[in-house]
Amino acid sequence: MSVSKIPWVIKYRPKKLSEFVNQEEALEKIKTWIKGWLSGKPEKKAALFYGPPGSGKTSIVEALCREYGFQLIEMNASDYRREQDIERVAKLASVQRGLFASKRIILLDEIDGLALTGGADEGAIEAIVELIETTKNPVIMTANNPWDLVFRPLRDYSLMIEFKRLSKSNVLEVLRRICAAEKLSCDDKALNFIAEKSEGDLRSAINDLEAVAEGGGKITEEIAKQLLRARDRILEPFEVVRKIFWSKYVWQAKLSATQTDLDPDTLMEWINENLPRQITDPEDLWRAYEALARADVYRGRVVRTGSWDLLAYVTELMTAGVALAPRNDPKSKFRWVKYQFPEKIRLMSHTKEARALRDGIASIVGEHIHASKAKVLKDVLPYIKIIFENNVEEAAKIAISLNLTDPMIKYLSPSTSDDIITRVRELRKAIRAEAKRIESRREETQKNAGKNEEARKHQQTKSSLDFFVKKTKH
Amino acid sequence: MSEEEASKILAELLWTEKYRPKTLDEVVNQEEVVLRLKQFIKEKNTPHLLFAGPPGTGKTTVAHAFAHDLYGSDYRLYLLELNASDERGIDVIRTKVKEFARTKTPGNVPFKLILLDESDNMTSDAQQALRRLMEMYVAATRFILIANYPSKIIEPIQSRCAVFRFVPLNREDVVGRLSWICGREGVKCDQDALNTIYDLSEGDMRKAINILQTAAALGEVSVSNVYKVVGLAHPREIREMIKTALSGDFIKARNILRSLMVTYGLSGIDIVKQIHREITSSDIDLPEEAKVELADYVGEIQFRLVEGADEEIQLDALLARLVLLGKKVVGVAPKRVGK
Repeated sequence: MSVSKIPWVIKYRPKKLSEFVNQEEALEKIKTWIKGWLSGKPEKKAALFYGPPGSGKTSIVEALCREYGFQLIEMNASDYRREQDIERVAKLASVQRGLFASKRIILLDEIDGLALTGGADEGAIEAIVELIETTKNPVIMTANNPWDLVFRPLRDYSLMIEFKRLSKSNVLEVLRRICAAEKLSCDDKALNFIAEKSEGDLRSAINDLEAVAEGGGKITEEIAKQLLRARDRILEPFEVVRKIFWSKYVWQAKLSATQTDLDPDTLMEWINENLPRQITDPEDLWRAYEALARADVYRGRVVRTGSWDLLAYVTELMTAGVALAPRNDPKSKFRWVKYQFPEKIRLMSHTKEARALRDGIASIVGEHIHASKAKVLKDVLPYIKIIFENNVEEAAKIAISLNLTDPMIKYLSPSTSDDIITRVRELRKAIRAEAKRIESRREETQKNAGKNEEARKHQQTKSSLDFFVKKTKH
Repeated sequence: MSEEEASKILAELLWTEKYRPKTLDEVVNQEEVVLRLKQFIKEKNTPHLLFAGPPGTGKTTVAHAFAHDLYGSDYRLYLLELNASDERGIDVIRTKVKEFARTKTPGNVPFKLILLDESDNMTSDAQQALRRLMEMYVAATRFILIANYPSKIIEPIQSRCAVFRFVPLNREDVVGRLSWICGREGVKCDQDALNTIYDLSEGDMRKAINILQTAAALGEVSVSNVYKVVGLAHPREIREMIKTALSGDFIKARNILRSLMVTYGLSGIDIVKQIHREITSSDIDLPEEAKVELADYVGEIQFRLVEGADEEIQLDALLARLVLLGKKVVGVAPKRVGK
């Protein structure tokens, strides 16, 4: 399974600072700042790395640690609400390098996550400010967009380092390297397409490449285009689901839901199908499912009340609610997972015939015994099925009396249906023969002008047999 | 084949229908109800009726027998039978009632009967509309409403009806009836088996007769055949699904759920109820407090389904909860989050 292998975004992270492409300016600033720390006189105690997604902010911190021998103390979006975690990190930060302890870098990854996990609580910002004031180790924060008002105190305390959006050729270079390392046969046009589409987001480009390579064989432009469509266009269901799961922000998740022509019901099926493949930590899974189930409750309310206004909550809960559910294992949502077409939709169309049969039988029986279809399905059909599976003679008689069709008999008894159908034919033939015999006898009796009891009785049987014969002629 | 044999095949073959009492005099166990109804027949007048009680206690049977005794053997001309769960909404019901009310009444009784089964499955809005229908056509029709839960019938309807409460049938009546049927069918049955059927059917006559006929079809009505029938009729997959979820395999549990819904055609609510029964039984190994915690959530899911939520998504959420619970119980508690 693809789950167990290391995703390429991690496998091909640059190990050395020199391997980073197109971030020379940022790199210079970082090196100077770190040297300041090492000499004991840092310009500022914290640095805030900001820039578009996939430009290398987090990777560069890891490489920095490796190159200068720092131990990395990392916190990310999901941790910020845990006061004790911030305190734990603050404690580590405040301790000066001892004789044996290694030097440390404190990384607060994705601080814009603060704005979404707990509704930008000021307590957390204060705690971070305090951490920066007391730290004796370098503190690095990363963000896509640091210009939100709530981050102002952090900006004041930090050296702002901008990461540039990678150019297409930067991305292309990396993709080519990976192709070579993976010994893949890659069409240059295909790589070009992936790079173009990534809009400088190296992470998404690598993920896309991995997605295309998943299929095996040569990577051609055609395959790439088939699997990955440009962002601003209508996305394939697979891509929409991926974008939703990978979203870090509410707006991002909601936006993804607009990039599809699937209706909300179908989109919900897609999310439902693939959610447990992407999110596996039990608590995260439960949180995601409760969000999805709440979305579904709102959907029910939309249908029932006709208040289409409520659709906004459906969308928000089923996209953002699910995307932000992973807290125990926040990285799980970026894992590369192969998505599937909703099994339920497939199952429903595959079993359409069987269900129609089942419901048809339930209607016949229900009308017959004065009960609703649902009640028959629950309380009566299970017993009829047992009879059909175990007693050919009885089954054949019931089949005749309810006038069941051959497919219905097959549905009720997959294993002995042939015997039952044969027996039904025999019985029907015998009944028709009997009806004919009664007919001739009746004529005879009429000739004799006998108006006795027997004739009346024959007449009665005759009419029901007539009815039956008519019923079975189709 | 003789004529007799041929007509036997064409006769009723489902015992629940074959041995359904045709007149009020044949009805067992509901003396109170029968006595009052006979009074209405004598007066050739009746208010609207509400028959309430658990399944298989004879509500539909009594309604038909009442109509039979009132109009005679061609009573079906004067009885409109509707099932609230099968009719598509109150508008369909309204149209049918309207057309039926227009047809002529029998000579000796000034009204016709409308039998509305499973009326407690109607939303309260639909019930309000029904109330207006009951008033509008009261000159020519009377309603017999049938419900498992009278509390789900809105107050204005209840106050317009004579309410009849049907009680679960007692052991002697059920066993006596089953024994009588066995005699008529020429089926060998032992007394222990009939008692077992009563225990398993909880006073539900329809269920009891279904079990009887099915056991007879297996050869004889013995205790072991009775258990075999009940075992086969209840999908064992529900317990398997719960255990699979508790063991942590969500995707497999979900596959079982899907096959339950598609293959057996079980409704989400039926499945939720059975899950509830399973988790409170001693066969599922869960700490007592976990069962209570779970009961609360199962109830929430059932309520959402009643409100019209999607069956699979809600049940998936329930399975996810079981996965989480399973992990906690096994002792590998998931990491705590938040404060």
